[in-house]
Amino acid sequence: MTFMYPLPVSVSLSLLCMPPHRPATKIKGNVIAEDQLAQMAKQMETFKVNLEEFATKHKDQIKKDPEFRVQFQEMCASIGVDPLASSKGFWSEMLGVGDFYYELAVKIVEVCMATSHRNGGLIRLDELKSRLEVSRHKNTQEISIDDLLRAIRKLKTLGNGFTIHPIGKTFLIQSVPGELTMDHTTVLQQAQKSYYVTVSGLVDTLKWEKERAIKALEYMLKEGLAWVDDQAEGERQYWFPTLFPDAQTP
Amino acid sequence: MAEFEWPWQYNFPPFFTIQPNIDTRKKQLEAWCFLIHDYCKHHKLYSLDVTEIQSSDLFYNKKINRKLSSDSLLTVLDELKKKGHLEWADKSKRQFTIVWRTQEEWGKLIYKYVVYNGLTDTVCTLYELTEGEDTVDREFHGLERPLLVKALKTLENEGKAELINIDGNEGVKFF
Repeated sequence: MTFMYPLPVSVSLSLLCMPPHRPATKIKGNVIAEDQLAQMAKQMETFKVNLEEFATKHKDQIKKDPEFRVQFQEMCASIGVDPLASSKGFWSEMLGVGDFYYELAVKIVEVCMATSHRNGGLIRLDELKSRLEVSRHKNTQEISIDDLLRAIRKLKTLGNGFTIHPIGKTFLIQSVPGELTMDHTTVLQQAQKSYYVTVSGLVDTLKWEKERAIKALEYMLKEGLAWVDDQAEGERQYWFPTLFPDAQTP
Repeated sequence: MAEFEWPWQYNFPPFFTIQPNIDTRKKQLEAWCFLIHDYCKHHKLYSLDVTEIQSSDLFYNKKINRKLSSDSLLTVLDELKKKGHLEWADKSKRQFTIVWRTQEEWGKLIYKYVVYNGLTDTVCTLYELTEGEDTVDREFHGLERPLLVKALKTLENEGKAELINIDGNEGVKFF
């Protein structure tokens, strides 16, 4: 779907070489430029019409099928169109696509707020998804992980409130300000299986200095992301409610 | 009776260690207060003994082998006291009463029942109010005598009831 033709070489050269004091050439050059512009505008128009036609034709599919939606998004991205950019654009009118993501984003904020007292503002993407599915009506569109990530990225325009952290194969969504460094996400990754870590455990598996492990854990404790358990055998365990599975029930 | 539903925290080992982070501790104590409140309400417990309750499943999760220490338990109970849901029975803090409804709330519940069943202008014994067959489904069924008297006194102050004594049997007349 290419619609931007490069200027013909001869024209661009003549334009470049054109001495400024020769009005005849200048006028000719302007005419050519205008022609080019008009042609491009016409092509854009054709393209838009085609894209609109496509969108209308596949409207239902785009709305219903998360996988199709991903591909549509990718197609739009490759030609520099962002269907989410404006809620007033023809996209939202055509598809309601913009609204879809805005609504989703609002729901995401709600879930993150409602669960932050428990998880310190850090939630697993799959937990977020299942909570959203519970809160949404059953007959509405299915949502995919891709939809969620898109909606969350949209939230970034509101400031630094929402951050996505890739942890192993999944993602954690942070809904409170506060910088998580590589060390912290590494700790979370270590805790994924057993939901807790210990200082010596981190030292052993990651070959970290003891101070580094303590520093990372103390920070996460301070941020309310970690809880300590002093009744464990051996040493203090640092637990993460975000990762703890029983946290599914509201 | 339906099975008591434990909150997620009950299976979360750090829940049984008082948290060093102030904000986290606040959430933790709040969750404990809710749990104790719900637990006592579910099992209809009013007067409790610290030593006894400490080894009950409320404060000792055998499955994960975690329990609240005596100090931690006192911290939790003090928080409950601050919220007005607990009253110490003695100064040494060995026994306490769980207040899951205030006296006024109990009074209102009882009065609502009385009006609904057309028992105004009649005399009931205290026994039949809390132990009788007619009130088995009521929340105040099984309410401890001192609490019941306090609740009825709030009604008395409002002029809705009068506590009476007939031949050593305590009773109440509703208006």
